[in-house]
Amino acid sequence: MTETPLRILVVEDEVLIALELECLLDDLGHITVGVAGSSAEAIALGRATSPDVAFVDIHLIDGPTGVEVARALSADPHTTVVFMTANAKRIPDDFAGAVGVIAKPYSERVVAGALRYVADRRAGLAATVEGLDGFRLASATASAERHLPVR
Amino acid sequence: MTHRETPATRARGLGINAGAFVAAFTASPTPMVLTDPRQRDNPIVWVNDAFLSLTGYAWEEVSGRNCRMLQGPETDARAVRRLRDAVSAGRPIEIELVNYRKDGTSFWNGMTVAPVHDETGQIVHFYSAQADMTGKYRNEVAMKDAHDELERRVGEQTADLRAALEQKTALLHEVDHRVKNNLQVISSLMLLKARRTPRGEARDALQGMAERIGALSTVHRMLYSTGDVTRFDLREFAEDFVSELVAGLDTDRTAVSAEIDSIAVSAAMAAPLALMMHELATNAVRHAFPDSRPGRITITAQRSEDGLRMLIEDDGVGLAGGTPNPAGFGRSLVEMVVRQLRGVIAWSDVAPGTRVEIVVPLDAISLQSAITDRAPGPEWASP
Repeated sequence: MTETPLRILVVEDEVLIALELECLLDDLGHITVGVAGSSAEAIALGRATSPDVAFVDIHLIDGPTGVEVARALSADPHTTVVFMTANAKRIPDDFAGAVGVIAKPYSERVVAGALRYVADRRAGLAATVEGLDGFRLASATASAERHLPVR
Repeated sequence: MTHRETPATRARGLGINAGAFVAAFTASPTPMVLTDPRQRDNPIVWVNDAFLSLTGYAWEEVSGRNCRMLQGPETDARAVRRLRDAVSAGRPIEIELVNYRKDGTSFWNGMTVAPVHDETGQIVHFYSAQADMTGKYRNEVAMKDAHDELERRVGEQTADLRAALEQKTALLHEVDHRVKNNLQVISSLMLLKARRTPRGEARDALQGMAERIGALSTVHRMLYSTGDVTRFDLREFAEDFVSELVAGLDTDRTAVSAEIDSIAVSAAMAAPLALMMHELATNAVRHAFPDSRPGRITITAQRSEDGLRMLIEDDGVGLAGGTPNPAGFGRSLVEMVVRQLRGVIAWSDVAPGTRVEIVVPLDAISLQSAITDRAPGPEWASP
């Protein structure tokens, strides 16, 4: 992988999913900076690590608090938040600052494609999600503009 | 005898005198009243006993008074005006009014009022016959109450049904969410184990199972995202599936193309069909092109008279040329699925390559949706 590795925070309460995702991210040449299972842990880890990307599940140990987590993490202009959930219907219209959602169950290809999209966008390149049925962008262009990272 | 016969002259002719009418009217069970418009304020000049018992007054209490004495707070002023207008115009009228008895109780008084003329044509009296219509009104009110009650109950039941539907939707959503999450856990579990297994047959088997679960997961995701949980678009699946397949390939060597009609199939058929398509295509990718041999795989699916016809072709080494696979799990899986779908499958060596043709009958739900396909419903509209 020629691109700079992304530093990724995984917010996921299901340990097996988190662990496998970590392996997959490693295969793709990225770095997992932390795994959080609860909202408090996720927000604290976000502050401590200021990740490039955060994958956020909606349902965490302390309930459907992923939306709140996304809002808190995307307050850091450096962090691009992507939901990763089987419960996309719970995502609010403004996507809580996230750029999109990867639908569970996902395939490795969709995760790789979503990360390529995020990396391109962070690099200021034209990014596309064509052919990625399992990755849906936040519909409002407003959220995309708001969360362009500052380098 | 006059030349013109009138009821009055006829009565006289029959020898009936005025006294007979007075006696008949007085004894009549129909309440009656006579007023004199030539006197000031058109007072009551005669009533029968039935009138007195209907209103509860004594003759002395009504004699010389205007009939409006029977009116009260609930009497409709517009009806009174119509009655007054008819009387002033000397027209007969039929009308229903709320009237009050002496004791203050009210009743619906249905009356006819008609002018009585003398020989010269002058109005000498107004004659009115009455009927207590309270029973009829009570029925009407009872009917209205019953109707309102019925409407209230229907409203309640509709609310109950709506609540039940909301509950069902929430439950479906919850189950859908759990199934998806579990599929993800199962897939993660398989892949984790595969990662920790040395390269070889066991690892390939684990990865193969993870891919099959992936194919079923895609079906599940698509079924629940279209908003129609009963049907599934085969083309949408094929597009996603081919992307997945190609992602794991050296595309310079192996080309995969799919021509799938937009065919709505029932949820019951979706998983077996997806699994079958997955097996056949991966089989071709794995076994048709050994030793870096370049090649092409074509997948087609169309609706035919017999149902759904699928064709998977490759220009690889063919069935005979491939390394014999002792387990042959992929092939037997396909045959099991085709049997489940009550279809037929034909494997043939076409030199070069392999050709697999499958025809499966479509079930009722799929056929039904095939009709709606011609006029696409919103459920297939792309987001």
